[in-house]
Amino acid sequence: MLSPERLALPDYEYLAQRHVLTYMEDAVCQLLENKEDISQYGIARFFTEYFNSVCQGTHILFREFSFIQATPHNRASFLRAFWRCFRTVGKNGDLLTMKEYHCLLQLLCPDFPLELTQKAARIVLMDDATDCLMSFSDFLFAFQIQFYYSEFLESVAAIYQDLLSGKNPNTVIVPTSSSGQHRQRPALGEASMLEGVEASLFYQCLENLCDRHKYSCPPPALVKEVLSNVQRLTFYGFLVALSKHHGINQALGALPDKGDLMHDPAMDEELERLLVQVPGLVNSVTASSEASCLPSRTPSRVASPWRPLHHSRKVDVESDGSTEETDESET
Amino acid sequence: VAAVPVPLPSPKMAAVEKRRPTVVPVAGFTDGGRPTVSRTAAVAESEEDFLQQVGVTEMLRAALLKVLEARPEDPIAFLAHYFENMGLRSPANGGAGEPPGQLLLQQQRLGRALWHLRLAHHSQRTAFNNNVSVAYECLSAGGRKKKPGLDGRTYSELLKRICRDGEAPEEVVAPLLRKIQCRDHEAVPLSVFRAGMRTCFVLLEFVARAGALYRLLEDPGLAAADRRVGQAVLDTLEGALQAGDSDAGAPTRYLEAGSRLGPDSLALAMDRAVVARRPGVPMTREEFLEKAAALFIAKVKPVG
Repeated sequence: MLSPERLALPDYEYLAQRHVLTYMEDAVCQLLENKEDISQYGIARFFTEYFNSVCQGTHILFREFSFIQATPHNRASFLRAFWRCFRTVGKNGDLLTMKEYHCLLQLLCPDFPLELTQKAARIVLMDDATDCLMSFSDFLFAFQIQFYYSEFLESVAAIYQDLLSGKNPNTVIVPTSSSGQHRQRPALGEASMLEGVEASLFYQCLENLCDRHKYSCPPPALVKEVLSNVQRLTFYGFLVALSKHHGINQALGALPDKGDLMHDPAMDEELERLLVQVPGLVNSVTASSEASCLPSRTPSRVASPWRPLHHSRKVDVESDGSTEETDESET
Repeated sequence: VAAVPVPLPSPKMAAVEKRRPTVVPVAGFTDGGRPTVSRTAAVAESEEDFLQQVGVTEMLRAALLKVLEARPEDPIAFLAHYFENMGLRSPANGGAGEPPGQLLLQQQRLGRALWHLRLAHHSQRTAFNNNVSVAYECLSAGGRKKKPGLDGRTYSELLKRICRDGEAPEEVVAPLLRKIQCRDHEAVPLSVFRAGMRTCFVLLEFVARAGALYRLLEDPGLAAADRRVGQAVLDTLEGALQAGDSDAGAPTRYLEAGSRLGPDSLALAMDRAVVARRPGVPMTREEFLEKAAALFIAKVKPVG
C-alpha cells in the first residue's frame, strides 16, 4: 500500500522518474495548439482529457516521433497501438516487406524513422537482405525489442563489437547514445560468420551495463537466462532470442503472449472503432471529443500509405520463406 | 504548506520546442537566423502571456503542488482525476446556471471534501493534515441559508460516506461512529474533525488488513475459519495491543507489540490453540472482522 522510496525521493527526482513534467509540458503545447478547444470546453476539461488519454495510451496516436519515444510509457503505448491497429494483417496471414511495415508505422507516426524499421527487420531476417517478406508477429516482436530498448541495444552493439575485437570487457566504455559508432554494419555481418562471442563473457558485460544504464533495459535475470542456454552467440542471435522470450515480453507489458496475439473479441470491436477513425482521419479527429487533444494532421500525409496494404501478398511468396518456418515452429 | 520550490513546466520552452517544425523551413529561406529567432521569442512571449491570462499557469502550479504533496504512485492518473474534479466544480458546470438547491449544494460540498481527504494517504501526515483542513473549510463555508461552521450532522454524514466507500461492513464500523460522532446541532471544531477523519481512515485500513488475515485462515470449502485458530489470532492481536499500552517508552512498546505479532509467536499461539481445544462452531468473516475492529475501537477515545 505504501512505497517509502517514492515518498523519500527529492521532488525533482520523483517528478523525473515518473515523467510528470514531460507530460505537463506536452499538455501545455497541445493546449496552445488547440486554443479554440479551451474557449469551448474550459481548461480543466482539456487537461482532464489529456491526462486520461495518457493513462489509456491513446495520447501517442499521430504524434511526432520525438514524443512517441520520449518515455517508456509512450513507447509501450505506441507498441500497443500498432498491434491493435494492424492485428488484422497477422490474422489474414499476410506477409509484408520491411517497407510496407514502415508505411504502417507511418500511419500512426508520420515521421517515424526508417532506420528503426530497418533494424527491426534485420532482427527478423538475421541481418540478411531486408526486402524479404515477414509475418506480422515476427516483425512485431522484433520491432518491440528494437523500439523499446533502442538505447540499450546501441550499447549492446558497442560491447559486442569490442568483444569481437578482443578488448577487455572491463575497459569497455559505453557510448551513451552515439549511433555513429554502431553504424558499421559490414563489420557486424562478417563477425557473425565467426560465430559471435562467448556467452558468459558477454553476460558479464551486459550485467554491468544493466546496472548503470539510465534507459530501460530488459530484466537482467532474463538476459542471463537467454545467455546461459548457449556457449557462443552472435549479435543478431542475441536479439532474436530477446524478441522471442515470453518473460521479456511480459515484463515489458505492452503486448500479449504470442499465442493470444490474434484472438481477442473485445479488441475486434475496438479495432473497428479505430479503423473507422484512420482512413477518414480529419473529420473524426476533430469531431470526437476524446481525440480533441490530438493534433490534426493533413489527410494526404496520413492516408496515402494506406494503399500498399491492399496488395495481395500471399500469392507471390517467392522469397526463401525463412520467416514462415520460424513462425510455425513457434506456435 | 512548506515553501516547496515548484518546477513549473516552462511554457516558453514548450512553445519554442513546439514551434521548431514550422520555424526550421523558414530558417532555410532566410539565410540569417536572427529574424526568425526574434519572431519565435515574440511568439513565446505572447504565449506565455496567454497562459498567464487564461489561468493555465496558476492551475498547473496548484496541480503540481498537489502532486508533490501527495506523491501518488501514478501521478498521471492522479492529475486526470484532479482536473476532472476541478472541471466538475468550475462555474461553467453549475455556478452559472440556476443556483443549485440546498440539498445538491450539500452533496457537492461532501463530494469535494471527500475528494480532498483522499488525495493523500493518512500516513503522510503533513499532506493528510493539509487536506483535512481544506476539507474542513469546504464543509464550513457559509451558504444562503447556512451559517459558516461545520455542524455535527454534516460531520456524521461525511463519516458514514467514508465508511461506506471504504467497503467495511456496517456493523463493524458502527461502534466507531457511535464513539466519534457529534450531535447534529453541535459545532465541530477542527481538532475533533481531524482526529475523527484520521481514526476513520486508520480503522478502514485496519479492517481491510484484518480481512486479508481472515482470508489466510479461511477454509475455502467451508467459507469459514476454525474458531480455535481465529480466536488465537485475535487473542494475540489483543495481547500485542495491550503491550503497546505498557508504561515503557514508545519505541520499546512498538517493538514489543511487533514481536508478539511476529510469524513465529503467532504460529505458536495457533498451534497451541489447535492442540489444546476441541473444534467449535466455525468462525465467519463478519464475526472475525467485528471482533478485530472491536479491539481497535476500544482504544479510541470518545468525543466530548
